This record gives sequence, structure tokens and C-alpha cells, in this order.
Amino acid sequence: MGAYRTDDDYDYLFKLVLIGDSGVGKSNLLSRFTRNEFSLESKSTIGVEFATRSIHVDDKVVKAQIWDTAGQERYRAITSAYYRGAVGALLVYDVTRHVTFENVERWLKELRDHTDSNIVIMLVGNKADLRHLRAVTTEDATAFAERENTFFMETSALESLNVENAFTEVLTQIYRVVSRKALEVGDDPAALPKGQTIAVGKDDVSAVKKVGCCSA
Amino acid sequence: MLKTLMTPPVHCWKGDDGSGQTTNTDASALNTESSDSDSSEDPEVIQASSSSEGREENDPDVPLKDYISPSRTDLHPNQCTGENFATWQRIIRVDAVRANAEWIPYSPTQATVSECRARRAADAVGLKDYDFLEPCGIFHAARLVAILEAYAVYDPEIGYCQGMSDLLSPIIAAITEDHEAFWCFVGFMRKARHNFRLDEMGIRRQLSIVSKIIKCKDSHLYRHLEKLQAEDCFFVYRMVVVLFRRELTFEQTICLWEVMWADQAAIRAGIGKSAWSRMRQRAPPTEDLLLYAIAASVLQKRKLIIEKYSSMDEILRECNSMSGQLDVWKLLDDAHNLVVNLHDKIETPF
Repeated sequence: MGAYRTDDDYDYLFKLVLIGDSGVGKSNLLSRFTRNEFSLESKSTIGVEFATRSIHVDDKVVKAQIWDTAGQERYRAITSAYYRGAVGALLVYDVTRHVTFENVERWLKELRDHTDSNIVIMLVGNKADLRHLRAVTTEDATAFAERENTFFMETSALESLNVENAFTEVLTQIYRVVSRKALEVGDDPAALPKGQTIAVGKDDVSAVKKVGCCSA
Repeated sequence: MLKTLMTPPVHCWKGDDGSGQTTNTDASALNTESSDSDSSEDPEVIQASSSSEGREENDPDVPLKDYISPSRTDLHPNQCTGENFATWQRIIRVDAVRANAEWIPYSPTQATVSECRARRAADAVGLKDYDFLEPCGIFHAARLVAILEAYAVYDPEIGYCQGMSDLLSPIIAAITEDHEAFWCFVGFMRKARHNFRLDEMGIRRQLSIVSKIIKCKDSHLYRHLEKLQAEDCFFVYRMVVVLFRRELTFEQTICLWEVMWADQAAIRAGIGKSAWSRMRQRAPPTEDLLLYAIAASVLQKRKLIIEKYSSMDEILRECNSMSGQLDVWKLLDDAHNLVVNLHDKIETPF
């Protein structure tokens, strides 16, 4: 993981949020992606935390500032304040706990209430390594994602399965939309993160929607 | 020391707790040390006064006296969140199995619990998904579940909120009997429950005090925070909610909490500011020592914040990464200095 670039060296900065029920693995997805770490004893997130990582898309450096949020509904008033300015979201459920999938709809509403309607959203079924405990089928989740016009992937933070892909896919989609729109930020990349909304056209999202793949 | 100070005033609380949820699988002869709490010199560290003194968070409707059955809780889920007892049960279990193992060196009897007994305790509360844990971890998790569920029944307005397991874990490490630990936790939560209220009043009040302390102490830093629109001190949110538990080690946490409790006990005992100033030229006891300590931890980073940080995000990250970096004695010294210099300004009604 030595290839990570320093914090200030980027062309684009995109804010992502990680949302979903308590215990679905949001913090571990984040730590796997940003630090290649995983812990079964990772503590509940109180309020919000964030981490960053830069990746390359084409010849550009895209820096992701990823906000990890508390899963419990009680904290939602606080966490939803951090949705502002997000251009991408990973909406995470646990493939072994059906109730976390049932709640995805509520999370999606929450997200759409607080963000630009064109935000790039990926539905993420985490804990795909627990094959014998699976309670949500890939088909059900795929159908939901198609209906709601979101991307979809199944991941395992524990086995490092698809984690990189999920984040990279979301960042790449945002990048594509932004660069296609020729949003000129090259001269002043720092101007982008300050809560500005990047218009992500709905059509653009649809056009690339199929790219999201599943593992299982 | 820890054992003595952590022990609840059992003589006040002894008796059936009526919760019906605690397992008591461990009621057998682990030790009998809890009787030492009778010492009249020990500050009654966790016992809360029944009257909600003026300074306690503005909540007149503390519902703790009424026993509410689980079925009633089920029927009347928390109106605002839609959370019900089943939701709390689920989240409690998620949190219980990921409680950290820092307490183990401080509680040798529980650390060596047999696998058989640990599994029995887990079965008694229907805890699963613990295969990755050692027996002592399973046992600890089972006790967390038992007591947190009992609490959710006891105080359905709060129920269970993530972070509460952080607060309970040190208590059950020190107290081997579930019923004693439960009442100890109830006493602790009498004040801390406001941190978990849905209307966030408890949190907002405390954040505004931290903000006020920083403003009074360091106008330069405060102006910088204002420039970054961070003067609401939201970046210390986690420190307030779980009383520094995430930033300090187990031992440091106990240390800080005990000093806080001693202050609160002194206030309950009627040792007010005037009496205190005659006794010694030191910081008078305050209900809000935690908040002074939190402000102190921010002030320790003032140079970094002023010179290097240009957004609230960066300060938040700094605060979230204080874990393991703090010296609790320095923190207490700084906090007490702030109390000495500022308590007259901070603790007047505003």
C-alpha cells in the first residue's frame, strides 16, 4: 500500500459517505480501503469519523474523503448533517442479517432527502464471506438496485473481497461525470471540497449503471 | 483503589432490582469484596442524588422510578426513532461481542472464567456470533447484554444507544455481581443518559460549555474556530458522549471518571465553592470537570489547530485520533487550572 499519495497531492477531491445499519461493517470497509486493516472488534462509530485515500483514475489523482457514520437511528440527526456536499455514497447492509437489507429503503430516503438527487449511490452487501449464513440473495439485492437506480456490489471487508472495486467504482463514476461535464477545477482543486455540490446528471448514472458487478 | 472506588453504595441499592433480565449466572462466590463499600469514607461515587439539582441537564421527567415491563416497552416503541426493544436487543448484541479486551488485566477473576461458564452465560441471554472470542470475552459480552437489556427496560425513553456499552464495560470489569453492576450503571446513567437523548439537549448544553471554556481561555483559538465555523465544538462530540472512553485507555478512563465522581460527590455532600475555597486554594468541585478536561485536550493542540488546520474536518480528525496520545494526569492538571481560572465565568447561568 505504499503507493498512496500524500494528502495534498490530488486533482479531484470527492466526498463520500458510508451509511447503513449498525454492525454491517461500514467502519471495516473504510479501514480496509484506506489502511488495509480489518478488526472483528472494531468499535461502534460515535457520531462521525472520516478517512481519506487517493486513487488514480486515468491520469488523474482522485482523493476520496470518506465519512463513516454511526449506524443507529438515534444518531441520524447528527450524521445526516455530514451528508452535505457528498457526491457519492456506499449504502451498506449485511448479507447475513435480512433486517439490515429491509432498512436500506429508509437509508436511501434519508440520503436522498439530504443530498443532491444525482449523487452516485452504490448498494453494498457486506460480509459476503459468511456464505453459510447468507440471508439476502444476490438476486433480491440486484433487483432492488435496478429498481432504485443504484450500483450494487457484494463485498467482504474481512477477506478484502471487492472492497477496492466498490470504492473505486463509485469514485470512477463520479470522476467520469465530472470530467465529462468539464467542470474545471484543475487550477484550484482545494475549491472543490468545501461543500460544493457537483452536478451528477441522472442520465450519466443510468448509462454506466450496469458496470457494477457482483461476486458471490 | 479501583475496586474500592468503583464499588457502588450497595447498602442503598441492595434488593431485587425488579428487572428480571439480569442473568445472575455468575452470582456464585466469585468474590465477596463488594461488601467493602460500606466504608463511610468512600465517596458514594456513583449514587446519584434523587433530586435533579438545578445544574443537572434540564430534564424534569426522569422516568427512572417507574418499572416498565418489557411487553409495555414493546408496545410503545420510542416514538421518535421508531426503535423498539427488539431493535435495542439486536444492537446491544452487535456491540457486546465487539467490546474490547482492555479490561482483562484489571479483573483477574473474570479473565480466567471457564469456557463452560462463559457459554452458559451467553446461552442465558441468547448471545450468538461469538466464536472469535476467548471465554472471558464471551462472558464479558454476555454480562453486557444482560445489564444493557435490563437498563433498556428500566429506562425506555433512552433504551439502548450505541456508546452505552462503552460506559458499562469498565463497571462490570470492576464489579462481578450483575445486580450490583446494574444499579451502579443506573446511578452512572442518571447523569450520562442525557448524552443519549434523542433531542440532543444534553449534548448541546455540554458542547456549548466546552465552547465557552475555550472562548474564555483562548480568544485567539476561538476566533480561529469561528473562522472555520467550528465554534460549536462539534469535533469533541465523541468525547462528550462516551466521557473520553474512546480517547483514553481503560486505566486512564477509570482515573478520570473517579476524579469526576469525587467532584460530584463533594457537591452532593454540600461542599460548595465557598467551603472549598476556605479549605484550600485549589479548584473547587464542579459538575462539569469532564468538559474542562475536554476543553483542555483541545487547548493542548491550539498551536497545531491555529497554524495548520483550515477546516473543521481536520480538527475532527485530530480529536478522533487522540486515542492513546493523551496523558491523563496532564489533562487533569490542565482541567483543574481551567476550573480555578474560569469557573466563575463558566458556571454562571447563561
